[in-house]
Amino acid sequence: MKWFYRIVSVVMAAIFLLPVIWMLVVSVKEEGMKIITVVDWFTPPYSLAVYDQILNGTKLTDWLLNSVLVAVFVTLLTVVVAAMAGFVLSKVPFRYRAVAFFFILSGLLIPGEAIIIPLYQVAKDMNLLNSYEGLIIPVLASPVAVIVLKSFFDGVPNDLLESVQIDGGGTWRIFTSIMIPLIRPALASMAILTFIGSWNNFLWPFLSITDDNLFTLPMGIPTLMSQYSEDYVKPMVVNTIASLPIMLLFIIFERQIVKGVSLSGIKG
Amino acid sequence: MRMNKWRADVQAFLFLLPFLLVYVGFTFWPMIKGVQMTFYKWTLIKKMQYVGWDNYRRMLQDQEMWDALWHSTIFVLLTTPTMLVLAIMLAMIANRKSRLQKFYRSVFFLPSVLSVAVASFLGLFVFQPYTGLVNSVLHLLGVLSDQREIFWLTETNLAWIAISLITLWWTVGFNFILYLSAMQDIPDEIYEAARLDGANDRQVFWRITLPYLSPITKTITMLQIIASFKVFLQIYIITGGGPLDQTRPIIQLIYQTGFRKNDLGYAATMSYMLFAILLVLSIIQYVINNRKGANA
Repeated sequence: MKWFYRIVSVVMAAIFLLPVIWMLVVSVKEEGMKIITVVDWFTPPYSLAVYDQILNGTKLTDWLLNSVLVAVFVTLLTVVVAAMAGFVLSKVPFRYRAVAFFFILSGLLIPGEAIIIPLYQVAKDMNLLNSYEGLIIPVLASPVAVIVLKSFFDGVPNDLLESVQIDGGGTWRIFTSIMIPLIRPALASMAILTFIGSWNNFLWPFLSITDDNLFTLPMGIPTLMSQYSEDYVKPMVVNTIASLPIMLLFIIFERQIVKGVSLSGIKG
Repeated sequence: MRMNKWRADVQAFLFLLPFLLVYVGFTFWPMIKGVQMTFYKWTLIKKMQYVGWDNYRRMLQDQEMWDALWHSTIFVLLTTPTMLVLAIMLAMIANRKSRLQKFYRSVFFLPSVLSVAVASFLGLFVFQPYTGLVNSVLHLLGVLSDQREIFWLTETNLAWIAISLITLWWTVGFNFILYLSAMQDIPDEIYEAARLDGANDRQVFWRITLPYLSPITKTITMLQIIASFKVFLQIYIITGGGPLDQTRPIIQLIYQTGFRKNDLGYAATMSYMLFAILLVLSIIQYVINNRKGANA
């Protein structure tokens, strides 16, 4: 029985790993090789010539940079904006707080995909199409982030705040120097999830961007792939270049990412 | 005192302002604007003509719309149960004490960090006939004889299987982590007590592990159903909605209607059909979650 478990485990790991390994290996093969059995994929001759062509002959690295830039800005701004809102909803009594809370809560019921057509029209009216601002601003308001962060602020004891207020600290100071450090783990996991979300966001860039200098990876890759037909090497080089940075990030920050994902389950 | 209260209100409002600006401008306003669009023949260059309920009437009789909705539903039905089973299975593997425990956790989550475009294109090549990874491995193992090829992407049923397998591979990581952390929260004493009572592996799984996981299972099931209804890019890349639109999901139809056929008004109308379905699902999820809270 123990052996059965072990075999199943190893087979599953192989299934999960093999496509990624295959991608990496094919990307360093020479173009135009005859492939008869699966073994041929993994044997020499190897070559990095295609990497040179893709890196210097296409806009892939620009798109990679766009994806990173957009994801970084979206992540930072989403988390800051949501933390500010979550903080006052949790800790500052003000008129209409319940109304504001339910207004934001109702946003959980509005799926972005279902309002993408009117969003396109709105962004067009505001001249936001084909711009970095247009890629970043419309996606910044995340009700989920507000609600999750609010629940973490709720966990901070109130007497802690009162002692600062007696010291004469203003609301902004309480927010930045006390609250933010206290909920840092929650902020980090929210940031990780937002980053991954932005990294994978396809539909909005796809509709709002037509200038290929502003493409992000999920849009750029299909455009590029449609030009390559026969051979596997170029597509795999494209896939590899697009994936290496994020895979490296994953290897470095694996613990934080796993923790972030498991925290996100709490909200359910 | 009153002055102070007023100041506090203004201050709180300023904290909310950045969020509210974006939220109202790019979520609420489009939602309202969209309702207006459904009553117009509305093109990309904003040529508008009021048509009353025509878009709605047309939608209810539109076989393409119902087909696309059905395809999204097929995707939900194929991926949700398999997702749950696979996620639990992987979590069990990574939860067993072994030297490879950490390795398994990394490997099962790794595909989840890939971009949707990369995962889809990788999948597209993995399922190619003749030289694709799956067929090559099947040939090597002798499962598939040398003369036979499986044309995964040109036959509707096989295309659904390929799309589902790729999606599972790419997205199971998140649910796997949720299950893994839920499993690690099950107290060891309960397992020990069960063993002392002579329970075997199967009994432990069905009587202890699974019941303990049921709250997270409910959550994952609903989130998975809602997320799967919004499927688009994997299918768009892998089959393009084909063969013969047999795998085209609702979002692809909305996109094509709006931007290829230049009919934003009708596209918006179909979006609200999707909206209504997702709204019902979200409310069901809310009710289930709250009932769970009441029992706890």
